[in-house]
Parts: sequence; C-alpha cells; structure tokens
Amino acid sequence: MYRYDEFDHKFVAERAAEFRDQVRRRLAGHLTEAEFKPLRLMNGLYLQLHAYMLRVAIPYGTLGSRQMRQLAMIAEKWDRGYGHFTTRQNIQFNWPKLKDVPDIIDALAEVEMHAIQTSGNCIRNTTSDPFSAVAPEEVEDPRITAELIRQWSSLHPEFTFLGRKFKIAVTGSEEDRTALKLHDIGVQVVKRDGEVGYRVMVGGGMGRTPMIAKELRDFVPRQELLPYLEAALRVYNLHGRRDNKYKARIKILVHELGIDAYREQVEAEFASMDREAIAAPAEEVERIRAYFQPPKLSERASESPLIERMKSADPSFAKWIERNTFPHKIPGYVAATVSLKPIGGAPGDATAEQMRVIADLAEIYSRDEMRVTHEQNIVLPHVAIDDLYRLYKGLSGIGLDAPNKGLVTDIIACPGLDYCALATARSIPVAQRIAERFADNDRQAAIGPLQIKISGCINACGHHHVGHIGILGLDKAGVESYQITLGGDATETAALGERTGPGFSYDEVPEVIETIIDTYLDLREHPRETFLQAYRRTGMAPFKEALYAAA
Amino acid sequence: MAKAFEPAVITANDLVEGTAVFLTPEGWSADVSKAMVALTPEQAEEFDALGQRHVQENVVVEPYRVVVLLDSGKPVPKLRREQIRAAGAPTFAYGKAA
Amino acid sequence: MRLLDRTGEIDDLWPAVTDELPLAGRALVPFAMLDEALKSGLELGVDVPNTIDPAKLTRYFGRLAMISVDFPGFADGRGFSIGRKLRAEGFLGRLRASGPVISDQFTYLLQCGFDEVALPDDVAARQPIEDWIAQLGLITSGYQRGIDGRGSILDQRWSGR
Repeated sequence: MYRYDEFDHKFVAERAAEFRDQVRRRLAGHLTEAEFKPLRLMNGLYLQLHAYMLRVAIPYGTLGSRQMRQLAMIAEKWDRGYGHFTTRQNIQFNWPKLKDVPDIIDALAEVEMHAIQTSGNCIRNTTSDPFSAVAPEEVEDPRITAELIRQWSSLHPEFTFLGRKFKIAVTGSEEDRTALKLHDIGVQVVKRDGEVGYRVMVGGGMGRTPMIAKELRDFVPRQELLPYLEAALRVYNLHGRRDNKYKARIKILVHELGIDAYREQVEAEFASMDREAIAAPAEEVERIRAYFQPPKLSERASESPLIERMKSADPSFAKWIERNTFPHKIPGYVAATVSLKPIGGAPGDATAEQMRVIADLAEIYSRDEMRVTHEQNIVLPHVAIDDLYRLYKGLSGIGLDAPNKGLVTDIIACPGLDYCALATARSIPVAQRIAERFADNDRQAAIGPLQIKISGCINACGHHHVGHIGILGLDKAGVESYQITLGGDATETAALGERTGPGFSYDEVPEVIETIIDTYLDLREHPRETFLQAYRRTGMAPFKEALYAAA
Repeated sequence: MAKAFEPAVITANDLVEGTAVFLTPEGWSADVSKAMVALTPEQAEEFDALGQRHVQENVVVEPYRVVVLLDSGKPVPKLRREQIRAAGAPTFAYGKAA
Repeated sequence: MRLLDRTGEIDDLWPAVTDELPLAGRALVPFAMLDEALKSGLELGVDVPNTIDPAKLTRYFGRLAMISVDFPGFADGRGFSIGRKLRAEGFLGRLRASGPVISDQFTYLLQCGFDEVALPDDVAARQPIEDWIAQLGLITSGYQRGIDGRGSILDQRWSGR
C-alpha cells in the first residue's frame, strides 16, 4: 500500500489547516455561502436533506486496518456510529456538524486520508479495480497509475474550477470492474510490443444524458500520461459548455464536437506542450511502484482438506465461498468479498463495530488490506484458502456473511430521498423490499448473476443505467414513480439499459422485479444462461409483455 | 390562472449544526409544528425576507418555503420529501447492524 | 476596483480605455480595439474575455505589456487555462485576473501565471487583504510539474538525494 512521505503529510496537513481557516472565515462572514459552497464541496462537505454530509476519499478503494479503525472512530465520535460506502470508493458520514469537520479532517490526516476533491467541479477521487494485484490477467497493478493521478489531480491549479465534476478510473485488466466506460476519462493499462502504456477512453458518464466512453487514444506511452491528461482537461476546461449545468460534462463536449474533432484538439494541445516539464519523472513512478509490490504470499495448495470438510459441515459457508470469493494470481489464495448487503440493511452501510471487525479480520487474514468496491462492498484481497472458515465465522458474528455477491440482493442504491437533497424518490427502502422478497439464498443462487441498481433521481448515483435491471425513482406530481430499465452493463461490454415502458408505484416495485425475474427464468435456455445473456438474446418484448399485457 | 396560494412555512439548515430548522416566532427550531405558518402570499414574502436576513447574519443557509397542511392548527409538510426532512431522519432504521 | 498582487494592495497603472485613445502613456483596451491601438505609440495592455482563444494573442506578444483576463464569476475557471497557455506560449508581460475571484484562488492564479488580481469593490470589501496574503502561506507546495514559480513535490523528493 502507498504510504505518505514527508511531502504528502505536509500537503495534507496544510490543506486541513486551509479548510479550518475557510470554516473560520465562513463563520466570520468573510465568505458568503455561495463562495464557501464550492470550497467546502472540494473538501467533501455537502449540505444534505437533514444535515451536512462529509465524503471521505478512499483513493482507488484501498484501505488499511488502521485507516478503517479511524473511520470507525470518526463515525462514533462525530457522527451517528456508521458510514456509507459509495459507488466511487468513498465513504460518507451523514451527520457531522460544520464546527467539527476541521477536527475530522485532522483525524483523517493522522492516518494518511483526506476528503480532497470528493465533490465540486474538479477532478474527483480516482477509482480503480478492487481486484488490483489479485486478478490473474492484469497487465500491471493499476493503483501505481491511480496514485500518480491522485497526486497530479490534487489541487491542480488549472483544473480546480472546471465546468463540472470530472471522474477518472484506472484498470489494469481487460475484464473491467471499474465501470471504466462510464467515466469522464477511463485509463486502461495495456501492453504493446512489450511496452506498458495506456489506452485512454473519454466522454462516458451517467446522469440525465448517459453515454458510453469512446476511445481517445489506443496507446499513450507511460511517461506521457500526465501531459496527455493535461491536454485533454485543458481542451475541456476551455471549450466545455458552462451555460447549462446538465450539459457541462465532458461527455457533452465530446458528443457535440464528435470524438474526432475533440481528439484533434487534444492532440494539437498535446503537441504544443512542454511534455517533459509536465510528465512525472521515471524515478517517481518507480518510487510509487515500490509501494505496490505484491505481498509476499508463499504458494499454497489450492485444495484445502480443512475447508472442504467445513463446506460439507456448513452449507451456508459453502454458499458463501461459492459466491463471495475470487481467484487470486497466487495459488492457495483468494480475494473474499464482504457483502455490505445483508437482507434488510441499507446497501453500503457499515456500523463502527462492523468496520472494526472487518479491520481486525483484514489484519489477521488479508495482509492488513481492504478494498472498497463500486458495488458498495468490501474486499479482503489476500486471504489464504485455509483461513476462509475462520474469516467467515468472524464475519457471520456481525451479520456480514451474506453469500450474495453479484446476485439479485447485491443491490447498488444511492441514498435517495431519505438522505439526499437532490433525490426525487426513495431508493434504500426499495432495495430493502426487493432484498426481503428474494431473501432465500437458494433462490438467489438459482437466479444467478443479476445486478439491480437503483437511483433516487435522474443524476444516477445508483448507476441505474448500467444495472441488468435498473430502477430510477422519479417524482410524478408528488408521488414516487419508478422507471425500470433492462439490459444495462457496466463492464467492458458496457451498455445502457432500455426502458420497459411506463413507471410503477413504490409499492409495485418488488412485484415488478419478481415478474421480470420469473420471465427470465421461464425463457432462459439453460440454467447457466444469465439474465443479461437471455435479455440480449430475446430483447425487450417478452419482458414488456409480462409487465404490461395483463393491465 | 395563477396557482392558489397554499399555506407554507420557512425552512433552512442551521449554518453551524447543519440540521433542518424551521422559522418560528422564537427563532429557528427543528420542530416543524412550532413553525410560523404563512397564510397569505404577503405573509410568505415577509417570512422569506426574515429568512434572508438570517442568511446575511450567518445563522442559517439556503432557506425556502415548504407547503404545509394544517392538522388541528399545526403545520405538517405536504410533500414526502419535506415530511422526511422535518422528521429529521430516514424512513427506515438506520445505522444499525442488520 | 481594488488591485493586488503577492505583495498586497497596489496602484493601478493601467487606465482602461474604451473609446478615445490617450495621446501618450499607457492604455488598457478591449480586444476589439487592439488593432486600432497598435497604430498608436502607446504602451498597451489588452482586456480579453475568457472565451478568447489564447492562440489569437500570440502574434501581439511583442507589443503587449499587459493582458487582463476576465473572470465573470469565481466558479468559471476558463481563465486558469488561458493564463497557463499564455505563459506557455511565451508571454512575458503582466498578467491580470479581473473579476470577482476569491482569495482561496489566489495561489492557483499565481501558479497559472497571473501576477495581479483586479477585484470589484463589493468583493474587496468582504475579503480583507490579509486573507489574500495569508493564502500564500497556506499550501506551500504542489504535485504538478511545469507550474509557474513553484517547484513540484515530484522533484523535491529527488533533490538532494
């Protein structure tokens, strides 16, 4: 894991002091709310429906036990004892007071964390693959690049007052677990003729105008990445629209100019730059790389007689292993997903106690390391197969043993009308009702891989556009109404879901989901044909028929 | 045709605490039932102005009107969003280990 | 209008001219008047909107002692890119950011190549000069390379090793 050196420490400490001073000046009236708002947002502080909300960055989703325990401490000391892990690998505290936030920021800095640029019209937390350093097929640990981008994007003097927010994701694998094509810029580490470089995608995004990113360059040499990003951002900053908040993202610029014209401008800018002056020195990349040396895991037998015995003795454990573990590049190990989707819980929420237990388990069984996923779960990346039962028992003691990774109850949901000032409908209670209806683990397993994603408004924080089943909550004359989309996909085969037709009421949603799933179960050709495969084969018609024909 | 005026109260967030508050005769309170109800457009404008003054004085931020229904004289927000906000908490048990 | 730079409040040496050019001395003219003003012997500055293509100014660099870039609102950050681009293209004169920017942007402005800030009176009244000067000492280093007047952490890490 990356560790701060003296420079990083000083930078974050200065930023914390700056924010403390901004709060002071706000309370003294030197800054109006209009002026303070972008400053607090760039330090992760929102004003939500009930209270302030602080969004803390978990850069590329990687977290150590000491950091997780500090998050638990913050939750207890300054909040209401829990936090919410988000789709962009951040954690949100829902109830801090403005006067306490400078202290919270200081407490974060103590463990090499911050809330810099987790909101605002600037470059946001750079996200990455939760299976970095695990996935067998990855070209290189993408977090080396993500950390480089984290540093470069932090308080970039030119790009801190952009037209709109700017999200970057980095993956090192062809198989995409970062929703890369739904980012303003997606960076894929690739290898060409033995040389490691980057494929750069641009102009993806969700919100009210969802778009799949297009390829900007098939190969950017490693040492030219930062100047290339700088050129791409400069063209956006100068030419992106600012007349309409909803048309200010780079996806609209790319769409209106066309990818070829945008690329031409970026290349011209890039060519005119003093690229060497901007690029990171090679020794700096190597310095960062040293922090991401794979843990020294000694190869072990991939079959564990102990675990096989426990699987027969404890069928729920067998189900959990089946669903919640992922193969590791080192034989004898797996990455284990801790589901933050217990039936009836709020997706992505964890109590301070749960955070501490996860931290303890990570310390004992996963080389002190955790990853936050965009599906709002936690991954323990380096677990010896022999330790899985002990890990599992530790998780079941605090209600985090749901064997539902990637299944119908592993639902992504935004905070919705229960917390969010922008929301138009509830989303967490919808997720809870759906999960309760499909609570039976055998039934979930029989349905197979199925992603439901729920957003409580058009801004699409719950990624509904790319849910296999997407649910969008709207307000129709004071009544919540839910639009359903089918066939969305957030991976390398990214696709936007298609609307089924008119929306449904809050109370109807669980039944509607059941109808869709029953339709799928009826029409699938064999038990291994997934929902998405079946939908791609049949199209919308049978689902539409099932949902609307009876009415 | 102009939309008929509906009774409204003024809400905002407390600058320091962040909590949702309502304008009452004794200042701002988290309790919506104590809020002053504007029964005419003129009254609502008067309350708006009071809210804006408290913004200038750095007491609250982002004040706006909330349409209410009167339940034995006490204001109750009409829309679900405002009901949730006035309740001061989500509609489900939050922050609990499942 | 209040004018300031990293030393504090300063005098405005650039009279803004929008119609009749003076006979001698300095003039800050709008971009639309620039070609006309070039025919004079005046020491010239030009006032440009933040929608200008900075490349359009390059050919005037030899005759321009000052460029004032408009910031219509503090949240409109196009001027930051314009400043950096003008410096990258070789502009060596005085660079001014003109508009209701806030003290929290001061170091960013300086790092993007600006020398001075011209503030409207109402903003200046709310933001004491001390806030601007204090800002300079808050964040003392940054990660980006190729930024005006500041070494990068990326280089500092390796210097003296």
